[in-house]
Amino acid sequence: MKSFHYVITDEVGIHARPAGMLVKEAKKYESSVMIVKGGKKVDAKKLMMLMGLGVKCQEEVTVEVEGTDEETAAAALETFFKENL
Amino acid sequence: MKDKIFGVLQRVGRSFMLPIAILPVAGLLLGIGGSFTNETMLNTYGLAGVMGSGTILNAVFQVMSRAGDIVFTNLPIIFAMGVAIGMAKKEKDVAALAAAIAFFIMHASIGALIDINGGAENMLSGATASVCGITSLQMGVFGGIIVGLGVAALHNRFYKIELPQVLSFFGGTRFVPIVSALVYTGVGILMYFVWPVIQSGIYAVGNVVLNSGYAGTWVYGLMERLLIPFGLHHVFYLPFWQTAVGGTMEVAGVMVEGAQNIFFAQLADPTVEHFAVSATRFMSGKFPLMIFGLPGAALAMYKTAKPEKKKAVEGLLISAALTSMLTGITEPLEFTFLFVAPLLYGIHCVLAGLAYMLMHVFHVGVGMTFSGGLIDMFLFGILQGNEKTNWIWIVIVGIGYFIVYYFLFSFLIKKLDLKTPGRDDSEEVKLYRRSDVEARKKNGGNGQEQGENPEDELSAAICRGLGGKKNISDVDCCATRLRCTVFKAELVNDGLLKSTGASGVVHKGNGVQIIYGPRVTVIKSNLEDYLETAPDEEVIMDAVPEVKEEKKEEKAAEVVKTVVISSPVTGVAADLGTAPDEAFAGRMMGDGAVVTPENPVVRAPEDGEVCFVFETKHAIGFLTDTGISLLIHMGIDTVQLNGKGFKVFVENGQKVKKGDPLLELDLDYLKQNAPSLVSPVLCTELEDNQKIRLLKEGNIQAGEPLFAVDFCE
Repeated sequence: MKSFHYVITDEVGIHARPAGMLVKEAKKYESSVMIVKGGKKVDAKKLMMLMGLGVKCQEEVTVEVEGTDEETAAAALETFFKENL
Repeated sequence: MKDKIFGVLQRVGRSFMLPIAILPVAGLLLGIGGSFTNETMLNTYGLAGVMGSGTILNAVFQVMSRAGDIVFTNLPIIFAMGVAIGMAKKEKDVAALAAAIAFFIMHASIGALIDINGGAENMLSGATASVCGITSLQMGVFGGIIVGLGVAALHNRFYKIELPQVLSFFGGTRFVPIVSALVYTGVGILMYFVWPVIQSGIYAVGNVVLNSGYAGTWVYGLMERLLIPFGLHHVFYLPFWQTAVGGTMEVAGVMVEGAQNIFFAQLADPTVEHFAVSATRFMSGKFPLMIFGLPGAALAMYKTAKPEKKKAVEGLLISAALTSMLTGITEPLEFTFLFVAPLLYGIHCVLAGLAYMLMHVFHVGVGMTFSGGLIDMFLFGILQGNEKTNWIWIVIVGIGYFIVYYFLFSFLIKKLDLKTPGRDDSEEVKLYRRSDVEARKKNGGNGQEQGENPEDELSAAICRGLGGKKNISDVDCCATRLRCTVFKAELVNDGLLKSTGASGVVHKGNGVQIIYGPRVTVIKSNLEDYLETAPDEEVIMDAVPEVKEEKKEEKAAEVVKTVVISSPVTGVAADLGTAPDEAFAGRMMGDGAVVTPENPVVRAPEDGEVCFVFETKHAIGFLTDTGISLLIHMGIDTVQLNGKGFKVFVENGQKVKKGDPLLELDLDYLKQNAPSLVSPVLCTELEDNQKIRLLKEGNIQAGEPLFAVDFCE
């Protein structure tokens, strides 16, 4: 399993639009992608769950990637977070 | 910042070119017509018999004079429209109409205030003028420019505005004349109070001039030039020419008032040995300036133009310089650099003052009918003889002026990189070639344009649906339909067009009408923008038949289950593709529909559970008892409002029945503060075998079926 931490800098947090983009990105990979915040863990491929997490600006999340393509997925997602969130 | 101001100034300057292009012609007509119909001149040279009143020649000259004069009289509105056209980014025709309306309205509201406050008699003499038949303040070309720039700004801001559905007929370009009319009513009121202050200042200067000698002459020349852009130079010099402000003198036993009257009285008096310089000091300075100085400036501008643009500016500069030389009408030339390089105009004013002063110093006594061109110089200088006029000094000083203007202008234009005609970076003068367009397109691909925006995507889809740009003959719209003419009707793909949010497609021969509803004006503007840069190709879509087949397959695939989702709010329903937000319209978040609320209460669309309410209260996650995850997102970009304008009745995890209130919206606040009220209602977790089918478009009640989710096998 690969994981990384990220502090959200987008001022609206993981809101509808960024969440939609994140889901789309996460779905590209076979690996499971989980977002962890404050003890809650949700599937990044499920938009509803992701938005329900209510991640706001300045909050830290942990992204856990597990599966056959976890190397590439984790790297791509990390860039994605830096560029979009 | 400086660059930005400069960029704007450059565009302003370029926008003047269209109205300026008419001036040389008008100037020649007026100059020739005016000189040869001047009674004093005809009598002086005994031409009254040949071209005096009643002769055919006289009639011809009178027509010429009037034809030219009407342009100068109405220069303000010509500039208002010309500048609006030049500064508007798109839909320039609408900007021109709006400018004409705003111009009339501004002057009408000034006129109304003048009447209310006691009529024109209570104003300073010369402060009012008849502007297109309205008694208003004399604001000259400046008044037109205020209108042109302001309307263009309003136009660029609003020509794509989308109004709420009920008012949407007035949206888009139709909104521009409306908003311009309202704004310029206010501007007119403001000008009524501001402009007279400016005018008073000008009158004060007049007094200073008379009370000082050579220096006064210099100030007179300087002021007269400075006032040209404001159209107030007539207000300034006419008192000197025509009233006691310019002096009184006894000529041939009669007391004469005003500089020009004195000159013409002396012209008719054979006993005069030398024309009174105390009178001609208000006139003679124009000759060296207009016959020599300004043509020097024109030559400098021509020489400094970019080599590839010389041809384009040549015509403009030569005709403008000739007009100045022959008739003494200088606006065509002065306006070419006044706005792009105000510094040059400042220097020009100083030198103009100096020209008047030098003529005063050298006792040059040449008068004029209305300006200082070759025609007047010949008639009132050379023909009168050097004895009486010292006209030779005009030539001597003039040659100096030509040299000074040429070198000074060349130097400053190059040194400061001033954007005089033919030096700006735009490609305006040049006609686009195909290669240019393609090059631009490639640049666009490198991210020079801000990437693909949703409008472009929609426009691209429409373009493809119509068989590619090459197949589109023209695009127009009426209240609800996009009306296009295509070359080959068989290339039009109805399915694709419908997917762009159209509710129907109608064919009539090569005409195609795509029905979008009242927001079609915005779609049309976007499509036109898009077509300008789109590749000129014919799209014969191989993909199309496949798509159609696929669709058939889908239809064929048996729908095993259908879940209906009702509208959470009363309002207007439409396809999700119409959402003014790329993420929603592109179905990135899921598929569904949009509803534009007209009732403030958002209700549970079906029985189910509120999964979460965003902290900013603008969106709700909802899970129906039938197992569909819904996102109800009220308005676009409403996350920015931080909860303002929303009231929540439910909390996370709460079970609700269909019709229970979830949220209440402050519709007025949202209309003002959110980019759009269009509210996507969509399914976030659709599987591949689940398809959305829109059930209702147009007016919809809360609780009425909005779309269906078909489960296929």
